[in-house]
Amino acid sequence: MAHFALSPRRFGYRFNVVGMIGFAIILFWALIAIFGPFLTPYPIGEIVDFDYFGAMSSKFWMGTDYLGRDMFSRILMGARYTVGISLAAVMISCVTGVVLGMSAAVIGGWFDTALSRFLDALNSIPSKLFGLVVVAAIGSSIPVLIFTLAVIYTPGCYRFARALAVNINTMDFVTVARARGERIGYLICSEIFPNIVGPVLADFGLRFVFIVLLLSGLSFLGLGVQPPNADWGALVRENIGGLPFGAPAVMFPSLAIASLTISVNLLIDNLPQKIRDRSVV
Amino acid sequence: MDKKFLNWTKADDAMVENAIRRGANRRELLQMLMLGGMTAMAGGSIIGRSTAALAAAPVSGGSLKAAGWSSSTADTLDPAKASLSTDYVRCCAFYNRLTLLDQNGATQMELAESVNSSDAKVWTVKLRSGVTFHDGKKLTSADVVYSLNRHLDPAVGSKVNSIAKQMTDIKAVDDLTLNITLANANADLPTILAMHHFMIIADGTKDFSKANGTGAFVCENFEPGVRSIAVKNKNYWKESKPYLDSFEYFAISDDTARVNALLSGDIQLAASINPRAMRLLDSQPSVALSKTTSGNYTNLNMRLDMAPGQKADFVQGMKYLLNREQIQKSVLRGLAEIANDQPVSPASIYYNADLKPKAFDPDKAKFHFEKAGVLGQSIPIVASEAATSSIDMATVVQQAGANIGMKLDVQRVPSDGYWSNYWLKAPVHFGNINPRPTPDILFSLLYASDAPWNESQYKSEKFDKLLIEARGMLDQAKRKAIYGEMQVMIAEEAGTAIPVFISNVDAISSKLKGLEASPLGGQMGYAFAEYVWLEA
Amino acid sequence: MNTQILSLVFKRLLVAIVTLLIVSFAVFFATEMLPGDVAEILLGQAATPEAVAGLRTAMHLNDPAILRFIRWLYGLATGDLGISYANNMPISHLIGGRFVNSLKLAAVTALFSVPIALTLGITAAMLRGSLYDRIVTTITIAVISVPEFMVATSAVLIFAVYLKWLPALSFANEVHSFGELLRVFAMPVITLSFVISAQMIRMTRAAVVETLNTPYVEMALLKGASRRRMVLKHALPNALGPIVNAIALSLSYLLGGVIIVETIFNYPGIAKLMVDAVATRDLPLIQTCAMIFCLAYLFLITLADIIAILSNPRLR
Repeated sequence: MAHFALSPRRFGYRFNVVGMIGFAIILFWALIAIFGPFLTPYPIGEIVDFDYFGAMSSKFWMGTDYLGRDMFSRILMGARYTVGISLAAVMISCVTGVVLGMSAAVIGGWFDTALSRFLDALNSIPSKLFGLVVVAAIGSSIPVLIFTLAVIYTPGCYRFARALAVNINTMDFVTVARARGERIGYLICSEIFPNIVGPVLADFGLRFVFIVLLLSGLSFLGLGVQPPNADWGALVRENIGGLPFGAPAVMFPSLAIASLTISVNLLIDNLPQKIRDRSVV
Repeated sequence: MDKKFLNWTKADDAMVENAIRRGANRRELLQMLMLGGMTAMAGGSIIGRSTAALAAAPVSGGSLKAAGWSSSTADTLDPAKASLSTDYVRCCAFYNRLTLLDQNGATQMELAESVNSSDAKVWTVKLRSGVTFHDGKKLTSADVVYSLNRHLDPAVGSKVNSIAKQMTDIKAVDDLTLNITLANANADLPTILAMHHFMIIADGTKDFSKANGTGAFVCENFEPGVRSIAVKNKNYWKESKPYLDSFEYFAISDDTARVNALLSGDIQLAASINPRAMRLLDSQPSVALSKTTSGNYTNLNMRLDMAPGQKADFVQGMKYLLNREQIQKSVLRGLAEIANDQPVSPASIYYNADLKPKAFDPDKAKFHFEKAGVLGQSIPIVASEAATSSIDMATVVQQAGANIGMKLDVQRVPSDGYWSNYWLKAPVHFGNINPRPTPDILFSLLYASDAPWNESQYKSEKFDKLLIEARGMLDQAKRKAIYGEMQVMIAEEAGTAIPVFISNVDAISSKLKGLEASPLGGQMGYAFAEYVWLEA
Repeated sequence: MNTQILSLVFKRLLVAIVTLLIVSFAVFFATEMLPGDVAEILLGQAATPEAVAGLRTAMHLNDPAILRFIRWLYGLATGDLGISYANNMPISHLIGGRFVNSLKLAAVTALFSVPIALTLGITAAMLRGSLYDRIVTTITIAVISVPEFMVATSAVLIFAVYLKWLPALSFANEVHSFGELLRVFAMPVITLSFVISAQMIRMTRAAVVETLNTPYVEMALLKGASRRRMVLKHALPNALGPIVNAIALSLSYLLGGVIIVETIFNYPGIAKLMVDAVATRDLPLIQTCAMIFCLAYLFLITLADIIAILSNPRLR
């Protein structure tokens, strides 16, 4: 197979340096998510400082928040919610969206039309209204929050995966496979999926970012994370008043979000080529 | 201001100005400043600055842009339905009331020339003559009768229906006189008529897309949820008012955005700013602050007819577990006055100063919780953005509870629908009560056995009896004694813990003059538009 | 080919009506499920049982909900959007100006961000693995990782409060000249572009990279086509389907999703209208807003599907 030299191609399951860094940061946050609660120097709800938006100090490593609570402890605890909930939600929505999208493209016909219109309709319901209805109907808990986030992002995932799969579905090798009499499951797994995995992964990375940010919006509707706990987005939101002073209370959670989302996307972009480009073996 | 005195903030400036308004003399002020650690020299210059600001002569002209904090498509120019501060501001600009409250809380006449009664049951209202509506129609008693009667019609959806119900008969006597008959004697009627909802509209008005009132401004444009534009009423009956040529009002719901708009000069008044913006505003010479503490509070309600509030010891324990000082200092950054679990504010003449707030005492709280047998149980506390600062207050109590082994579970619920779904309903929840002009209104709305908003389901025959006894009483000293006793009853027996009275701080451009504190709330009791002027 | 597109458009139109019906019913059902009705919400703290009952009767809220829904549908069919529960104004009157404002903001943002995003995405794909590609990728993600309200607030602090170049508030109805237009729209458009560009850049890059790997593009390379020609002539048309879908998804955000921008810049658009309507349970207004969002979304994705079909000969 010819390899045009747009990028250095690597063989084997080898990570490049950037990918390693991304992976290390994700691993770091995952560990914090698990062990964070044992590391907090102060209870997260306790007001430890009379000052607010306090500066970084040896007592309060990341300053204090708008009430005078320790930011370092709050960020450690927030990791659990942000990393856990976002990863779970993005997994569910991407897996559902991609599987449905590929099925719709391969099966086509009424199945495709019905599913597409249904998900279009779902996507047209404003997410705030949807969130409120969920709180009213099911109540508030972490699984409900994950489910809501997943439902909100599935239609977008579906639409993108379907658009990709439709293009592949017209390729000769798929037509050949179909003529061979392969089952739909085979077509999806072996012919379509390997050829769209790159863009799908990129989509996964983006959706992860969106979910991390939407999470705080839904917590403010009263869905899921309850005070004094807060995810990182909520930490930024509640401390936004400190922005004019450049308070660490608003900077650190923002940095935490950025470091996590950028690493996830760097890791995806730098996955070993064998995973990314299975189309070109 | 001289930056050498770093702990002197704009809030202190506002305090000095307030003191001067209340009539404090120079010596008292100096004393106040000395206590604050100021030298007499520096103090002198600050006083000079404050009095100069007050004494400046009003100038006419200019257009003002001001921003409140909430507005929606439900914005209305119908005074009976007014519910947001934004509505109050607009109603005050376009309409007048029969009476109003001045900055000392005393009742003054506005459209009425007099409101009199010999028995506090049948009242005679005499109207000012020569007042006209914006459309040129003359004000007569028919307009007043129509305006007041509307509150009794359930189809109108008046917010003060429950207060207006006591007016059993409203009848015109002649063109400028009317009689109001009450179901029972009530000496507070002149004060009740000063509430924003009792603004006077023209007889027969049904359409509220434009406002036709007697007020200082004529409504030029009103888009609910967007903004209103008002121009000066050239035929206004009050001498030389208003000073502004035009007045635009809208809401910026984001706290930070509202302050930023003021700092960038897009608006000249940002109502009700977040206490945490103080640090930013203090470094800005072009901004002044106006502080009011008028009886607004957020309270923790424990229903006495449901577990765990059924056990009196739980309620007692929670009152001791509230760290009022921390709520005042950390949650509200000092912009609050510590309260004593009853709703009458220190600004009221009926305030019982002998009733001290319960001190924060976790040991006593623990003792009561143990007695009630609730220690170790997980008790949900419902809080929401809808009730100002309630989520922060809830976390303060929660943490205090965690330290003595009392597990309180904060449940944040959406502000959407909070008042109809959680308030008054959940066993332990937060409420938020706006200032009311009289103890009678507060008690009948909130604590009488049949009160529509009996937040903790407090029922006491003795309390009900005292309430009716005081209501018809024209002797103020006796009334004060009774109200004092009732305040003690509420603080000790009811399931409502009121930690602090929340101050309101409006930030204004230093060019905007004439804004004074009012007991009815921020923005000069929402009526500032008529009284303020812009310096060139 | 033209007849095929026509029949597709026609089919889509039919389906769109069905979708609208489903959405309006779903929205109606959702609103009914929310606790509290308009009478309770309007009365707020003053909602005593008698007061609520009185107002409900006066507003004809006692009719079965489904009847009100059908009445609203019938009104819609006859071109009458109904009367707002919350303030008794005709819905068309409430929405009119604000809808135009929203469209203006969306159009300016789209004109600004789509070309930039496509250029960045395609060039990043062409130079895949280079430093340029890495920088574009990282900055893209960094930019959307910052919450929207923080971007907007920072922009106001810098450009309005400290530099005083731009107004902190954007009143769309005070625009009289092109200069003013730039001043008023600058900050909202930049904020929104931050939010929507990332998806377009990332998806464009991913889709182009994927097609660059396909055998026929490699064939073109072997034939000696220039890189530029290869990308524009061979790769791009095949990647167009996913790209236009990504653009459509991003742009669909510009009507209903801009609530934060509308709030912070005090821009009177319809996203805020919808939020208000939900808060007051103002059913006719919620429905109409939902219909507008849904129509805009269907329009965008139908357009995307048509472009996708046109660009891929095999789909025709």
